[in-house]
Amino acid sequence: MYTTTVMVLSIGICVTAVLLELSAVLLLLRKSLWREYPFFFVYTIWLLVGNTAVLFVDLWSPHVYATVFWYGDSADIGLRLLVVWEVFRQTFPKNSGLSRSFSKGLGIVAVGLLIVACVTFWGYLNYGLPSPPAPSRVASWRPHLALDRSFGFVEALMILGTLVVARYYGVKCGRNIRGIALAFGAWASISTANNAMIDLANSFVPLFYYLRPLSFVIMLVVWIWALWVYEPNPPIRESEAVELNRWTEDWNRTISTARTLIRP
Amino acid sequence: MINLIIFTTLGLVLFGSFIVLALKGSPRSLPDSSAVHAISEIINLEGSSFSTAKRLLDDTDYQVLCSNPDLRRLAERFRNERRRLALTWISLLQNDLITLWRFRRFLIQRGVPSTVREELGTLQALVLSLVLLNFIRLSILAVGPFALPRATRQAGQLVDSMSKGAALVLGRIPAAGWAEIERSWVKSAA
Repeated sequence: MYTTTVMVLSIGICVTAVLLELSAVLLLLRKSLWREYPFFFVYTIWLLVGNTAVLFVDLWSPHVYATVFWYGDSADIGLRLLVVWEVFRQTFPKNSGLSRSFSKGLGIVAVGLLIVACVTFWGYLNYGLPSPPAPSRVASWRPHLALDRSFGFVEALMILGTLVVARYYGVKCGRNIRGIALAFGAWASISTANNAMIDLANSFVPLFYYLRPLSFVIMLVVWIWALWVYEPNPPIRESEAVELNRWTEDWNRTISTARTLIRP
Repeated sequence: MINLIIFTTLGLVLFGSFIVLALKGSPRSLPDSSAVHAISEIINLEGSSFSTAKRLLDDTDYQVLCSNPDLRRLAERFRNERRRLALTWISLLQNDLITLWRFRRFLIQRGVPSTVREELGTLQALVLSLVLLNFIRLSILAVGPFALPRATRQAGQLVDSMSKGAALVLGRIPAAGWAEIERSWVKSAA
């Protein structure tokens, strides 16, 4: 499983990822974007510190590499919510009418999704282990894989939900948030599918060595592209409530006409 | 095992959705002038302002013409004409609903308060109304305009649920305006 080529590629991808994370952090600092996107900044700092530590462990203490990697990955699952929150708060700013109207409802949906993630993880630990014996190395990953795919799926869904609601109401996303959200969501989705495939069949394990890290590197490249130019979300213009009253009258009239059509 | 297959499938579906969103680009937001245009459009809702729907679908004249064997051809032309008018009217109603739905999204985007529940109620009313209007359109095409009232009477329960979305929003209007809304509702439903 661990051929020299795989090891070299793996370290190469790790080094590339760390360099890209460093570039993202520098970009955020140089253009003072960290003030605009503080939660995202904290997450990139975490990625830089965490992945640098993992890289050093891989080079100097390879026997503990897997443990460090998986525990780091499990911590990362929680910290990814910072990206989700950043995308949400930038798309629906606190003082906007959309936020006032929907933050409570969407908050309940988010809590519900997190509960679903906990339940699927718990269910997997208790009932979901496949019967055929797996290689010991893969078996030790399994709780982490289950945690990663349960929460990764929910986080991808939250990002997708935010983007879909924004699109529904014609809210424009700037290049920064759009790039961050799309790349993160796509990576979390691939990660979810990839982690599930490994548990389905061990033949997918080699795919894991390349697909997940490579998709992660692509995500970082898209983030850098997104942050290269400062382009925040355009402000949302506000309207008067009287316009909704007018809408209500017209809506009632149209529905009444349709009603008359059915019941003449 | 099922759990894993579901996660694999959902992960791939989500990935596909992000790719589609990325390829679609940013949504087009309405400029200021569009707001004025949208309001003027809503004021002149063509389908809703048509007040003689009852007469359009009334088969009394048709039955009178049919009762005379010499006027059968005229009755047939009359029926075809009514069918064309009814189909046009239904298209206008559908356009009205879609215009209103778009305008509502525009208002909410501009900060007018609403809730997720209200939005889902409006969406439900819109989808049901459009499905029902399409059903009526098909029934007019299949059996003519005069069979419609009898054929669709059973759909009354669905129509009741259509007005739920509007009823949810009604609570936002000042109490002084409720009487007027109620009068216009009763008048149009009579």
